[in-house]
Amino acid sequence: MDDIVVVENLVRYFGDIVKTEVLRNISVSFKRGAFTAIIGPSGSGKTTFLNIISLLESPSSGKLYIDGKDFSTGDINEYSSFRNRNIGFIFQFHYLLPEFTALENILMPYWIGYGKPPVSMVKKAIRLMKEIDILNVKDKFPNQMSGGQQQRVAIARALLNEPKIVFADEPTGNLDRETGFAVLDVMRRMVKEKGTTLIMVTHDREIAIKADRILELVDGEICKSFIVKEKGEKKTRELLEDRTCVF
Amino acid sequence: MIVRQYEFWIAIRFLIKGRFQTLLILLGIAVGVAVQFFLSALIGGLQISLVERTVGTAPHILALPSDSVPINLTSSDKEIFDSRKVPFIENQEILSWQGYVSYFKSNPEVTAACAVAGGQGFIERGGSSYSVNIKGIQIEDGALIYKFSKNLKAGKAELIGDSAILGQTLVDKLQISIGDRFFIRNNKGSGDFFTVSGIVDLGSAPANTIVFLSLDRARSFLSLNGVNSIEIQIRNVFMADTLAKVFRGEFSRIKIESWQERNRELLTALRSQSSSSGIIQFFVLFSISLGIASVLGIAAVQKSRQLGILKAMGVDNRGAASIFLIQGLLLGFVGSIIGIILGYGMGVTFMKTAGTGTFDLELNTFNLISPVILAVIASGFASVIPARRASKLSPIEVIRNG
Repeated sequence: MDDIVVVENLVRYFGDIVKTEVLRNISVSFKRGAFTAIIGPSGSGKTTFLNIISLLESPSSGKLYIDGKDFSTGDINEYSSFRNRNIGFIFQFHYLLPEFTALENILMPYWIGYGKPPVSMVKKAIRLMKEIDILNVKDKFPNQMSGGQQQRVAIARALLNEPKIVFADEPTGNLDRETGFAVLDVMRRMVKEKGTTLIMVTHDREIAIKADRILELVDGEICKSFIVKEKGEKKTRELLEDRTCVF
Repeated sequence: MIVRQYEFWIAIRFLIKGRFQTLLILLGIAVGVAVQFFLSALIGGLQISLVERTVGTAPHILALPSDSVPINLTSSDKEIFDSRKVPFIENQEILSWQGYVSYFKSNPEVTAACAVAGGQGFIERGGSSYSVNIKGIQIEDGALIYKFSKNLKAGKAELIGDSAILGQTLVDKLQISIGDRFFIRNNKGSGDFFTVSGIVDLGSAPANTIVFLSLDRARSFLSLNGVNSIEIQIRNVFMADTLAKVFRGEFSRIKIESWQERNRELLTALRSQSSSSGIIQFFVLFSISLGIASVLGIAAVQKSRQLGILKAMGVDNRGAASIFLIQGLLLGFVGSIIGIILGYGMGVTFMKTAGTGTFDLELNTFNLISPVILAVIASGFASVIPARRASKLSPIEVIRNG
């Protein structure tokens, strides 16, 4: 398995006069097709890190390669086409467009990238909705759906274009535990089937434990990084409970 | 700029979903355009009616005998037409009028040219005497200028021997009818009998006191050797000044006057009317633009969340800007179409209630299309600010701040 995202000496600070370093010299890579959970306490920089590697935010310095392309410099607005064709997003607040129905929201990335979706694409979207059990809200607007349904629509939207990577920021954070796990199962199943790389930020250790690999950020630095399968569930839980960093 | 389908789709959906806001701004544009359309149709109609009444059945250009002042024959670089061909000195009368008339008629802009032997006379009827204008014309030329075929109320439009065509006012005053004979005395004291062959209504009181005679009969009656004017009508009345200038360059022995020169006050009034209506229309358009700019500006702020999401999903800066430009253009287009319908309704209602009946609304293609084009352009400009804002928005701002 090759690396799809490679980060070298990544630094991100905010402020010009008083610089607050949020990410400190991070170097890490992500395997293609793997599910990585990024965990860490509040303010550890995990969301900023996710935003940078998903081309939503520029790094202050360091190197960033996605699928072999260098994205270290340049205006992130210029990467819109790359984002559309290669990246899927799932956010905590699902961010559906309230003006569009569930089906239209799901088809939106296709519209943006390729123009009016053909019947085959509409059928594909409907199939996807059926698979994740949201066909009943096909023609409903976001305000007519429950939180769980909205998040499933966001998942379908992120996956329809069959992106190479799906970035998810606390996708279950806004849902109750049961719905959260159901949504997670759907996500895991979908990315497994399509061979998609999933990089997810979560503060929920129970969700993180379901990932292939766990990456813990503390104070803008990588504190722990390990493969769940290699450590086994018991050791993984211990590692997650342990506050000291293992390099 | 090619509009991508999704930009159009999103713009339309934003407008439909923001129903109340959209309706409000559409109403704003519609009312503005309606006022603009109504004003230009009304003022246009009024001006056309005024011009028509002034020059409709009157000459657009008059060729008159030159004033008795020396004329510099070398004032023009061009060869002067009549200095070569006309051997007479035109003074008080145009003696070689046939040459001039055929020259004027050969100009493609000229629709009619008519030599006129004119003068004052008095119709004596019963114990009274009425002052009248006598115009001797060649019926086929005069009929074109005075539109006899349209304006004839009774009798025939023919001038043979002692027959005469009288204006309606004169007929009413004299209580005279077709076939009646009447006596006219000329300014030298002698007089003659004429027969009423036709009655015309030329639309204005002065024109309706004219007695039309045949050219030859009038010349002998008024003791003229030539004619005292040549009346010319042209296709486009507003070209009269230009054409008069051309004729002036050709002739030195006669004086050329356009209707504009003879109606300076009317022209000034028309011009000030046009400019004041222009100013009103400019400010109406300006306020429409401000309305669109502010509503779309608010919409751009309200939709920042959606724009952020769209940008994260791959909408580029141009796409984000286009969504707002399209909204602005659509609002301008639809609003102005509604405005024109509304303005037309206003016009019709005004014409009915005001009951003027003397002029019509001017509904030409320019009046119909120009408010739409202007409103669309203004809307386009007004949506530039929100479009720029949308284009500059960073998706991360929205995602970070919720």
